[in-house]
Amino acid sequence: MPSATKTKGQPGSSPAGLSPSESWSEWIDRHSGTYFIAPAVTLILIFAIFPTFYSIVFAISRVKFTPNGLQFRTVWLQNFQKQFLGNEQIHFLGRLEGLSVIGWVFWLAVTGAVLWWLYRSFRNGASWIGMIGRLISATTAIAIAFILGATLLSGNNWGTLMTTLFYVIIGCAVQFVIGTALAFLCSQPISGKNFFRVVFFVPLMITPLGVGYAFKMILDITKGPFQPFWDFIGLHDWAWSTDAWAARWFVILGDSWQWIPFIFIIMLAALENVPRDQVEAAQVDGASSFQIFRDVTWPQIVPVAATVILIRMIEAFKIVDLPNIMTSGGPGIATESMTLHSVFLWRANDMGNSAAVAYLLLILTVIVCSSFFNYVVLGQLRKAK
Amino acid sequence: MSVTGLKFEESRRGLMERLFEAPAIGKMSPAAKFVVYGFLLFWTIFVLFPIYWVVITAFKSAQVVNEGPYYIPFVDFSPTLDGWRAQFATDPFCDLAAVGRQLGLYVYNSVAFILSPFVAIAPMEPQICKVFLAYTNSFVISIGSTTLCMIIGSMAAYALARIQYKPKFGNIFMFVLLALGAIVATNYAGLHWAASGAIGLALFFLLARAFGKHFDAQLGNGDILFWIISQRILPPIVVIFPIYMMFQAVGLIDTHLALILVYAVANLPIVVWLMHDFFASLPIELEESAQLDGATRFGIFWDIVLPLTRPGLAAITLLTLILNWNEYILAVFLSLSKAQTMPIMVAAKNAGERGILWWEMCAIIVVMIIPVIIMAIFLQRFIAKGVLLGAVKG
Amino acid sequence: MTLINPKVPVTFDKIQKSFGAVRVLEELNLAVEPGEFLVLLGASGSGKTTALRILSGLETATSGSVMIGDREVTHVLPKYRDISMVFQSYALYPHKTVAENIGYPLKVRGVAKADAEVQIKDAAAQVQLGDLLHRYPRELSGGQRQRVALARAIVRRPSVFLMDEPLSNLDAKLRGHMRAELKHMQNTLGTTTIYVTHDQIEAMTLARRVAILEKGILQQLATPAEIYNNPANLFVAQFIGSPPMNVVHGQLDGAVFHSNGAKVDVPVSGKVAKAILGVRPEDCTVVSPAKGNVAAEIYTVELIGDHTLVTVKSGSDMVTVKAPKDFNGKTGEKIGVLLTKDRLFVFDAATGERVR
Repeated sequence: MPSATKTKGQPGSSPAGLSPSESWSEWIDRHSGTYFIAPAVTLILIFAIFPTFYSIVFAISRVKFTPNGLQFRTVWLQNFQKQFLGNEQIHFLGRLEGLSVIGWVFWLAVTGAVLWWLYRSFRNGASWIGMIGRLISATTAIAIAFILGATLLSGNNWGTLMTTLFYVIIGCAVQFVIGTALAFLCSQPISGKNFFRVVFFVPLMITPLGVGYAFKMILDITKGPFQPFWDFIGLHDWAWSTDAWAARWFVILGDSWQWIPFIFIIMLAALENVPRDQVEAAQVDGASSFQIFRDVTWPQIVPVAATVILIRMIEAFKIVDLPNIMTSGGPGIATESMTLHSVFLWRANDMGNSAAVAYLLLILTVIVCSSFFNYVVLGQLRKAK
Repeated sequence: MSVTGLKFEESRRGLMERLFEAPAIGKMSPAAKFVVYGFLLFWTIFVLFPIYWVVITAFKSAQVVNEGPYYIPFVDFSPTLDGWRAQFATDPFCDLAAVGRQLGLYVYNSVAFILSPFVAIAPMEPQICKVFLAYTNSFVISIGSTTLCMIIGSMAAYALARIQYKPKFGNIFMFVLLALGAIVATNYAGLHWAASGAIGLALFFLLARAFGKHFDAQLGNGDILFWIISQRILPPIVVIFPIYMMFQAVGLIDTHLALILVYAVANLPIVVWLMHDFFASLPIELEESAQLDGATRFGIFWDIVLPLTRPGLAAITLLTLILNWNEYILAVFLSLSKAQTMPIMVAAKNAGERGILWWEMCAIIVVMIIPVIIMAIFLQRFIAKGVLLGAVKG
Repeated sequence: MTLINPKVPVTFDKIQKSFGAVRVLEELNLAVEPGEFLVLLGASGSGKTTALRILSGLETATSGSVMIGDREVTHVLPKYRDISMVFQSYALYPHKTVAENIGYPLKVRGVAKADAEVQIKDAAAQVQLGDLLHRYPRELSGGQRQRVALARAIVRRPSVFLMDEPLSNLDAKLRGHMRAELKHMQNTLGTTTIYVTHDQIEAMTLARRVAILEKGILQQLATPAEIYNNPANLFVAQFIGSPPMNVVHGQLDGAVFHSNGAKVDVPVSGKVAKAILGVRPEDCTVVSPAKGNVAAEIYTVELIGDHTLVTVKSGSDMVTVKAPKDFNGKTGEKIGVLLTKDRLFVFDAATGERVR
């Protein structure tokens, strides 16, 4: 307890007249600002920040299992170099053997568009920190366009990087469109709204593993429920698990079954939150439901939509259970996400490369999500205010 | 125009008009109704079919599964309990007495754990029914972790909504440098982790006291909130090896506590984000009034604020419970056998020699999703009221 | 149960408050006498609520000091200041019953249950809430909620009551009723009370003294009658009174006020190039064009009930006159306005200060 003269002028100190000495409960109360937030910050420091830093040690080392524990040999950026240029390139980026004409055209078009965007934001006087952010986003976009041009558009297989982006971008797009459409339908004056709401919500709650197994079972060509259908279209001895694109789309199918409810539930709440009088005013003016949605409702729910897509994207980058269960990443590496890539490397006791891939996933996630946040979500939020 | 005139026009509407035009404002035309209900019905089937298929497969025999698709129990196949029997009857430990014994063991082990700082009581190994073990593990870990996460998360969220924090940028930078230094010292200079950690912390507090006043750049509550929420971006795979090593160093691998802690941190961003929104939207006069009346900060939080956010608390608790119940990737790394959770149990069925035994697998999945479906129906009520929308609106 | 309330003075000494670059209070000096009912009156943004919050401890002054009794409390936590506050929104805890709401200050102070129950009943009886103790706030009417808030404030017998626009959420009829009750209660308890409002009628009826604030500056501190009859400056003069005081722009030359050719004798003398003549509607009379000091024509006539408000136009100035209820004149009719000489005020247009 500090002396009375010292505490007199400090905010929060007890007055001389009322309580001569501070009790322990008052001491605690005076430090409530600290103890309210300290547990959360400490836990995050220990279990998120510290391990993130420590992962660097793995990522720049070759790790060996010895009887006395792990042995690290520092190889600096070799693990990363391997993913981009070395013998892991095919696994991570894909087979890059020069670009086809379409690949070239696509890459140049994207590069041009990105450079134009950079030039315009430079002309509009972005801050230097904003310019650095834009440069990073632009570089990433150009690199991804190059990989896309060199793999898919040049007839080569792509690696886990592009597969992950495929799940994120195509998955999010499909889920957003269908989820919003369902929410729109459910916001119409229909009976049984609560029934649909509960039923549509359920898949979100089912463990991704269960979803993986259920879809593996259902999509089975010979024993699954659609066997008569496959027979009918003459695919009775087709195995989708050996067809890269079919396998990828089926993973997206399972993922969408699980995550559309998330979009649906939030968009429905947003739709129902639009002021009734505005909708009624439009109805009196004779607008159709679709026109009301397009002109009145949609502009008001765009900020929610942008946020919900961001949340979905963040989670989508972590996809692992579904491809692991449904296809084990196959055929080959066609459905392997980056997390799964890292897990497989870890199972092969290659912890250095595993950590390097994990780290690259973190960097990719941060760049894509913060680009989306800065250029789309913030813009929409600002417009709404 | 007279009233009868209006009616006359009404009846003159042509077939197409009657089909495609809404009969009144706020109603749908028959055609629109047909399309809307058609889609909704289709989606209902799409959503329910996989669940239906899992449930009926759980009651199929090996032969029925392998012969090809059968759709309706009692009609085109007769249900059996093979899948369930394989789980429970063939495991010698899965009778009722064993389950009771295991519950007793749990109580015993919990007491041993609570008393461990004072008396050394060796915990007993549970030696019984794997499914039951995984099931109880999942319950203990989900509930424990959710409780921890809700307490810590809502306290932090409340503090960020109401108390001004001004961490110095310089101090944070110093902390990061010292943490990196500690890592280097442990890993490359061979210092014991506890020693380097303690030295790093001590140095940080010393330096912060000495230089903290001279740093000008400050961060605010918004920055702290953003920092906490942004932790959700972190893919679990990035942090799992170091976390594994940390738990190994303190001997917590394959314990409930390890998973409880890690799950709590994984969900902390969601809890802080959503709860912060609730707390920020409360009228501040209530808290000011309590403050004048002499309540402590914690008293206000506990007595006034938490009861007012009850719907939000309930909804977020359910959400966290469900996320914990379903978590897979962290459990794979941090649990070996004793702390194995249901998802691990399910995934392990994949590795059978005779391929996947679908009927057994489905039986476990059904067991696993029953509590979740019940929770989902409760949670849905809150979501329908828009309880969780506020935060998303940004 | 008899309780003698300590009557304590409250002093603001050179209190300043800024939020960032915005100055909300500039050197507020204010001495509240023991047992006084003081009203802080001002428009929104005048700094009146900030002053109250600084006294309650919910806000800290940028500089200056606050005394309650002979104790300096500038940096003392709210709970040690021995005050209680009624909020505009009442701040009732919706999840607690009326009894729990009233008893909350006792509960957090660790008053024994039996004692607390007696005090709760006592406080509830004082505001006529005795039979509603087990209801929840949502089951009460606006007036009843207001009473609960009052009971919660008095239950602890604090040395100072603070009230932040406590009546503004009530409808007009109830407000008048609660006003009377509030005044009666303060009289019985004799506790020093500081009451913030933007409503001049509340201020005039309730206060022993009114402090008028504008832009963070204390304009006048006086009894209601003094403020009405002897406003310190143009702002106070216009702020108090309904309908507001009429103002006419012109020049003061000696003891004569010139405006648009009209000359009015005023009770003060001086020479001000840009002056304002202020006159309350009840101090003017409508007369025939020849008899008045000022010639004008009728703009509108509004029958209020016990009197008629006649707005007349003279040059570019509008003047409202309070006339008898049987007044009948037509819009556009030429009339004269007679001003009561010793009830005229002259202000300097540049500073707003009264010319005396």
